[in-house]
Amino acid sequence: MKSSSPSTLPPVAVGRILWSRVIWRHWKREPWLTAVLVGILSLGVAVFLSVRLANKAAVSGFGLFTESIAGESDFILRPGAGRLPVEELWRIREELTRSPAEIFPVLEVSGALADEPNGPLLRFVGADLVALQNTANSIRNDSSGPGPDSESDGQGRFGGEDSLLGRADRVLVGEAFAKRFQVEKGSVLSVLIHDRKAEVEIRGVLPANPNLPEVPDHLLLMDLPGLQALAREPDALSRVEFRIPEGVHFAENRRLVGERMWDFASENGYLLHTPEDRKSSVTQMSAAFRLNLTILSGLALLVGVYLILQAMEAAVIKRRSEIAVLRSLGVTPAQIRAAWMWEGVVFGILGSILGILLGRILAMGMVGAIARTVNTLYYETTTTSISLSGGEVLFCLAFGLGASLFATWLPAREASQTPPAQSLKQGTRGGGIAVLKRWPLGLVLIAAGIGFAFLPPFQSGIENQVPLGGYLAAILAVFGASILIGLLFRPVSRGLRSGRPGPMRQYAASQLQRPGGRHRLTAAGLAVAIGMSAAMAILVASFENTLTGWIGQLLKADAYVAAAGANSVANENTLSPAVWKEIEASEGVAGVDRLRRYSVTVQGREFFLGGADYNNDPERYLQLIWIDPPAKKGPRVLEEKMEQVHPGWISESLARRLSIEKGSPVVLPTPAGPKKIEVTGVFAEYGNETGTMIVSRRFTREWYGDERLTNMAVYFDEGVDAEEKVARLSEQFPAINVRTNARLREESIRIFHQTFAVTYALEAIAVLIAVTGLGLALAGLLLERKNELATLKSIGATRKEVALAAMWESSGIAVIGYLGGILLSFFLGWVLIFVINPQSFGWTLSYRIPWGAFAMLGILTVLTAGLVGYVVGYQKAQLDSDREE
Amino acid sequence: MKALQVSKVTKSYGEVPVLKGVSFGLAAGERVALMGPSGSGKSTLLNCIGGIDRSDEGTITIEEQSLEGLDENELCRLRRESVSTIFQFFHLLPTLSARENIEFPLQLAGLEGAEREERVAQLIDEVGLSHRADAMPDELSGGEMQRVAIARALSIRPHLILADEPTGNLDTVTGESILDLLAELSDAHGIAMVLVTHSESVTRICQRTLRMQDGVILEEIATAG
Ligand SMILES: Nc1ncnc2c1ncn2[C@@H]1O[C@H](COP(=O)(O)OP(=O)(O)O)[C@@H](O)[C@H]1O
Ligand SMILES: [Mg+2]
Repeated sequence: MKSSSPSTLPPVAVGRILWSRVIWRHWKREPWLTAVLVGILSLGVAVFLSVRLANKAAVSGFGLFTESIAGESDFILRPGAGRLPVEELWRIREELTRSPAEIFPVLEVSGALADEPNGPLLRFVGADLVALQNTANSIRNDSSGPGPDSESDGQGRFGGEDSLLGRADRVLVGEAFAKRFQVEKGSVLSVLIHDRKAEVEIRGVLPANPNLPEVPDHLLLMDLPGLQALAREPDALSRVEFRIPEGVHFAENRRLVGERMWDFASENGYLLHTPEDRKSSVTQMSAAFRLNLTILSGLALLVGVYLILQAMEAAVIKRRSEIAVLRSLGVTPAQIRAAWMWEGVVFGILGSILGILLGRILAMGMVGAIARTVNTLYYETTTTSISLSGGEVLFCLAFGLGASLFATWLPAREASQTPPAQSLKQGTRGGGIAVLKRWPLGLVLIAAGIGFAFLPPFQSGIENQVPLGGYLAAILAVFGASILIGLLFRPVSRGLRSGRPGPMRQYAASQLQRPGGRHRLTAAGLAVAIGMSAAMAILVASFENTLTGWIGQLLKADAYVAAAGANSVANENTLSPAVWKEIEASEGVAGVDRLRRYSVTVQGREFFLGGADYNNDPERYLQLIWIDPPAKKGPRVLEEKMEQVHPGWISESLARRLSIEKGSPVVLPTPAGPKKIEVTGVFAEYGNETGTMIVSRRFTREWYGDERLTNMAVYFDEGVDAEEKVARLSEQFPAINVRTNARLREESIRIFHQTFAVTYALEAIAVLIAVTGLGLALAGLLLERKNELATLKSIGATRKEVALAAMWESSGIAVIGYLGGILLSFFLGWVLIFVINPQSFGWTLSYRIPWGAFAMLGILTVLTAGLVGYVVGYQKAQLDSDREE
Repeated sequence: MKALQVSKVTKSYGEVPVLKGVSFGLAAGERVALMGPSGSGKSTLLNCIGGIDRSDEGTITIEEQSLEGLDENELCRLRRESVSTIFQFFHLLPTLSARENIEFPLQLAGLEGAEREERVAQLIDEVGLSHRADAMPDELSGGEMQRVAIARALSIRPHLILADEPTGNLDTVTGESILDLLAELSDAHGIAMVLVTHSESVTRICQRTLRMQDGVILEEIATAG
């Protein structure tokens, strides 16, 4: 048996023996504990995945129409502002005579349901149906799946489109639309376009085609001339799309068409881009919202890692003396580590798989809530469907596995490095993750975090500023705080001893006086969850505070008039001159602020151009809140043109996006050619993140040849009952939206709260999970201290007293976690508001701490923890007394 | 050949010296009792010999192999092949039955099949546990657990067994029977033993007794065994 080679061990599969004899046995002996471990892990993965999925659904919902119908187009030509005259189409055709590009002119108009003027935004898309039909057919021929024929007419994807040609009252919708609005072929819908009501008949429902993306559920497809007639925009196009037929010369053709159209676009002041450009620019619109979700998924990730770390550490610490025995029997540290790491792998895979299933289910619930918010605020999306791609699954597996391995590696390394004699002596106390005891490292991390916070944003692509420094600062602060939280144990223990503590409180205090690795880890996990949630709460409170102040100051008129769909930034509906002039002239109206909003693109960035003229009353006109005020004040200053230069005010988000400030010149593309603007003021705006430039409507009227209005603020004569007057106007103009000041305020705040509804829900989940983690950790702690509990009982402690001790200890840890978390949140909140927020969407917010909510959070956390502690203690005390003899 | 040679071993925990130059030797098959008040450094010395703790200075030589030069893997190999430890608190692996606990070191040593089974059966028989072989540790009494620990220590046929208060947690009668068992097996297999103890009765199975105090060996007495 004694072999002669001294340095290598005999080639025995020690790993296999450890598995079958130790690890597997543990699982079998304590299936419940194993299940909890896997459960915790899967919870971490699930939260992470569901937030990711929901996030993705929220941004992927946006798709250009042709992506749904004609497949991906290669280029899109758009005007920098306004519409594209239809004559341009002939010029384009000429340019491309010998190039094999398919050309799709498109007009897009927004609308709403007549009986729900503030309901979902509809999007009418007018396209050249004949051209689309050909393309769709060719796509269909390529695909091997079942044909997408609608019903029995066999007319291809747009079933019976002949009957649509030129018709202003016939539309096609997708299956999703039919389902959402409960309509079918033959139904007649009453819709609002601009300020007019119209009826359209649904001539067909496009069946879902597995080979093509789903037609969005807010989209109505029409023949181009039909929509032009319906919207009273004859000869107008929103854009022209180009598709290069596939084939051997595809790349070359694509390049050729791209070059030609690029020249054409630059010569005529148009914009040419690919669908991806546009998509990324539009997704930017929901930056605030995505930021919100990004932080939440970060929170989920960290809480997940801590939970997993806690669970794995528990498992390894519990077996510490076992590890020592194994080593005394001649198993090497590396072998032990490897076995435990493999256990981590198995847990990681099991937990991830479960977590992915669970996360998918969670995401479905979440997506509904997110979709509602995004739809209201930004644009209609098809977020009802979430897609779990293979990549996403792999990513989550990697996350779960990585977290689990990290969580196993740390304690396994510690346990296998400690001399076994020492481990045997220490039992389950002491030891643990040594890093958590190095508080100077914590200070260094925090200091580094503060340093990173001052880094400029990382520029990735034209519209993509990533506040990398801010995120790094947050992460470092989180780790730093996890370490520094150890310093809170002594003071809290002392606090627990204050007054005249009974023996159980004394005992609990002694536990906290010399915290084990378990204690530290538990408190750290709790602190991170609370810290991140509280930081979000600071962000939301600051946001709300700023926004309500802004709304309060901005909304000074008595009533607000807009076309249907006014709650959405993406609304393009307008009021015709006949309508707004009649309102303005009606009895009791003292004056109005008029606004016409356009979309323009400068330096590749799309934003809003507002043509405003203000009520000519020095007291009663729209007063903006200034970040950098103009030199001159008054309702007419915007009209004062200085030698070919027009004064303009910009919002701070636009200032950030275009990197301009007061005094900067901007050249604006308009249908009347480029116009020079000088920025004379920068104002605050929290309604959208795209940004706005305001010039006098005197100029935009000229440039666009347009008398329509987007909305209007109305001031009544003194003594006019606003409610009554608004009711009368609503009756008179049923297709438009007239709201009192109070009503608009209320709606703005409601929308705001809706935006953050998901946030609140997820925060609650995070804290709940953290407290659950605390409960589990406590159960583990008490389990480890079985002997100690037995001793307590042997010297006469009742079961209730043992439970009381556990309650004190648990509450103590909760207090530590809570205090640490709140302190952390002050810093994280600062990073969110002053670093991440301005860098990602450029809003000035005032820092505000929601003390009330914090107090509530504290009370809830400590009470819950105390309760959990009591219950766990009571249970463990019982089990022990049963087992004793 | 000497089973063990300890010379001038020192060890301290932080500032506190626990072993202050301990030297003694052990012939093959010889049994020695190590006595002394608690805190005198007995366990520390034993742990250093067993390689589950490291001494600061001095040399420990087991079968002509000095521990100081060995790395962690070589120490493991030593424990797997020639030195066994028996603890006061038994330290059985809680997930394994009595039989499996005894079998475990043999598995580590790569012994397979019938040979292993035979050896385990024989060990169970030798320590008188045939009727409890499939019980789990938490179903065994203290004496039974120590018997399992002894069988486990014997399984690899070590040349040296280190026993730290093997009877410290047992009643007198059980303790006596464990001592008889140790003596019998040590004689039968020619295994050298260091027995740390508080009780004078251990000396009856040992050829020599070392008295330790404050980290040094005060005297050496030849005894009955
Ligand atoms: N891990 C340790 N850290 C600090 N001191 C220790 C440690 N282990 C043992 N000691 C000290 O070393 C001395 C000897 O301990 P030990 O060898 O266990 O004594 P014995 O076994 O003779 O009772 C004691 O004073 C004890 O306090
Ligand atoms: Mg001792």
